[in-house]
Amino acid sequence: MPVFKLNVNNKEYTVETESDMPLLWVLRDLLDLTGTKYGCGVASCGACTVIMDGNAVYACQRTVSTCVNKKIITIEGLSEDGSHPVQKAWQKAGVPQCGYCQPGQMMAAAALLGKNKKPSEELINETMSENLCRCGTYHRIKEAIHMAIEEINK
Amino acid sequence: MKKTAIDRRQFIKITSLSSGGLAIGFMLPGLPALAIDANDCEFFQPNAYIKIDKQGKVIVYYSKQESGQGVDTALPMIVAEELDADFRDVKAEIAPYGSVPGAEHDTGGSQSVLGMYDSLRKAGAVAKAMLISAAAAVWKVNPASCAADTGEVVNTITMQRIKYGELVCDAARLPVPKEVTLKNPKDFKLIGKAEKRSGLKDMLTGKTKYGLDLKVPGMVYAVAERCPVLGGTLVSVDDSAAKRVPGVLKVVSYKGTGAPMQVRDGVAVIATTTWAAIKARKLLNITWDEGKKNNESTEQLFRTFAGKAKDAPKIEVYKKGDVSKYNGKNELVAEYAQPFLAHATMEPVNFIASVKDDGCELWGGLQLPDWAVNTVATVSGIKKEKIKVNLALMGGAFGRRLHFEFAIEAVKIAQQFDKPVMLVWERHDDTQFSPYRPANYHMLKASTDEKGNITSWQHHVLGTPIAFMTEGPDTKNIGEMDGADHGFCYAIPNIKTGYTPVDFNINRGWLRSVDICVNTFPVESFIDEIALKLKKDPLQFRLSLLENRADFKTGEGPGALTQSPARIAAVLKLAAEKIGWSSARKPNHYIGLATHSFIFAKSYAAHAIEIEMLEPKKFRIVKVVAAIDCGVVINPDGLLNQMEGGLAFGLTQALKGEITITNSRVNQDGYFSYELLRYDEMPPVEIHIIDSKEDPGGVGEVGLSTVAPALCNALAAAGSRPRNLPIRNEGYSWV
Repeated sequence: MPVFKLNVNNKEYTVETESDMPLLWVLRDLLDLTGTKYGCGVASCGACTVIMDGNAVYACQRTVSTCVNKKIITIEGLSEDGSHPVQKAWQKAGVPQCGYCQPGQMMAAAALLGKNKKPSEELINETMSENLCRCGTYHRIKEAIHMAIEEINK
Repeated sequence: MKKTAIDRRQFIKITSLSSGGLAIGFMLPGLPALAIDANDCEFFQPNAYIKIDKQGKVIVYYSKQESGQGVDTALPMIVAEELDADFRDVKAEIAPYGSVPGAEHDTGGSQSVLGMYDSLRKAGAVAKAMLISAAAAVWKVNPASCAADTGEVVNTITMQRIKYGELVCDAARLPVPKEVTLKNPKDFKLIGKAEKRSGLKDMLTGKTKYGLDLKVPGMVYAVAERCPVLGGTLVSVDDSAAKRVPGVLKVVSYKGTGAPMQVRDGVAVIATTTWAAIKARKLLNITWDEGKKNNESTEQLFRTFAGKAKDAPKIEVYKKGDVSKYNGKNELVAEYAQPFLAHATMEPVNFIASVKDDGCELWGGLQLPDWAVNTVATVSGIKKEKIKVNLALMGGAFGRRLHFEFAIEAVKIAQQFDKPVMLVWERHDDTQFSPYRPANYHMLKASTDEKGNITSWQHHVLGTPIAFMTEGPDTKNIGEMDGADHGFCYAIPNIKTGYTPVDFNINRGWLRSVDICVNTFPVESFIDEIALKLKKDPLQFRLSLLENRADFKTGEGPGALTQSPARIAAVLKLAAEKIGWSSARKPNHYIGLATHSFIFAKSYAAHAIEIEMLEPKKFRIVKVVAAIDCGVVINPDGLLNQMEGGLAFGLTQALKGEITITNSRVNQDGYFSYELLRYDEMPPVEIHIIDSKEDPGGVGEVGLSTVAPALCNALAAAGSRPRNLPIRNEGYSWV
């Protein structure tokens, strides 16, 4: 099987796998980075959102061969210790219920704020509506995003 | 306890019996029962719920299963309150399976807090009393002159203090007191104070392990192709192409089970990675015998419902007075319908099984682990004593993990492979093969007199019985009348309700709020319809039928529940007041109300929803107000979470949730076709809590059932009433 070199959370990994394996399963099954969640596998829920070269992408939609020479950040690497403004805001707002979708929610929010420190409400709505939460934590997500925006613009 | 068949009432009964009796001091986590070595005192473990180390760190073991409802925070708060622990020193951990009587692990029916409240208070108080006795011995004073305060014992005469951690060894040697005094609730310091979720930081850094994240040494992965028609059988499988996929280890087939759990015949691909298994599964070439029930559809089902609705119910459920003399007299008739629904938890169900020699070990999230183990034992032939269970955190449940067909499948697959196997349900499996909330249909009739009083009320519920899952198609079990039966809250002199079961070949199961949700929609819509017909204010009309009615029992004996019309009225009044019911409406703005009791969790909730009509069938939800009375609130933050979550769940059902079936196959195959409420669709919400000293009730399911009727009542106020959910099917759209 082919071998791929990946840069995940600023660490180099070498994986031997078929070239069509989605990044999601590379992270979860081969690298044991299980913070990136499997929700649907078909780009319908956002649970597997990671940041690739600064953009939010669905890990279920990127085959491993397209991830070489990219800088991939997962929830485990968003910060050393949970201190990213988005994580701090999520903590302060007490967002999670079951918490399963929250890594994807936070990665989507972090990618958005990484590119745009003061996104419009429309852009926030558009971005975050791609990530489903069955527990219904949307109000707290909104509250947390606004806290994070305030924090990064201080 | 052996459970071969179970319905919800039975389950609630079992749960409350097992956990309401103040019996504590079961097996200690990780230790055989009561085998405590008095000289080994690294920890103080007075009972199954508490472990204190020499640094004063307190582990509280919660015996209910966590799936987002916050039992990992609320239950430790109850213990810590009576223990007078410093809550910052408290860590919550799942109580290992078997550390408490099996049925105490059962989690559902919003029973966790109300079922555990007394015993956890006592558990905390026992530990505190022992720590106080230990400190009193150190100081050589009477324990009565000592008190506990935030993780320390205080000598109230000298004001000396000793930390709990320093007392661990001494306390561990003391006898466990039989009687302890519980706090007066007015002295609570922690209960009623908002606490953020336990383990939040791990969740936010990706460290939290849900069932699907677990790795067992040597573990491999499996996905399964199931017979597309329930009850069908496997004829043959050609797995030659599948086996050529790199990483594939074995292809195995297994037989379905029927009731309970309705496992289908399946073919599983076992592989070194989930992806290899998923890929290979698509290459399986399987021939199924679909059986005779392979051409049923929901379209036909609802036509059957509508036809039978006009007949008398097959089974009479509740009767009061005599409705017959009012038949046809100044009568209002309406029919309502609600579809099959899926739980759609974000974490698809999954399970790990490892079968070795004559035993097995299991890992996964289960709401009813004891029943699951008993059933696994029966199905697999493995003795119950040889089954070890490791309970896992669940990425959502909403009743989905009360069912455990995935655990049975995992064991059947692992019995054919010599390594631990994690069975993963793909998203489309979850949407297509779940135990669905039953489809249901309602015919309501009411007569009124010239003074505008309701003289008779008839409610005919038609449904696909939930007990199909537990007992098969011939079930006689009616478990779907809560909210419409003996606990019916409105004071009406003549009432008759009945149920007609309709057979249908798809599995059914318990979904959050279960039949209370099923019956609250038609009841709260119809009472509103009657008010509008009589040109009465829908709020005052309801209150006139509730406020003067005394609390009453739903039946005889210990299983009887208490209904409180006054508390149902009080939440309704509060919601109406807070949304400005009696103020003038802005142009094109309309408000709808609905109220109910979640009777077996002793909680009451109402919703008021204000909408703005933009076009004849297009609206915007301006604001939602919820009011709840759940007695003493343990964790207000958790309560708000559950009410916000209930709103999102309820709106999903009202607006777009629907499973349809053609040729006995589910048409939806994931979140694109079984849509959930999205971020930009969540309306502004205010939640108001009734200040109450009543014993705590459950809150997991109470914030859901009144959402759809309140929204439909607002639409009715605007001119046309939807009677079928989801309302999208009636041409409504929203922004």
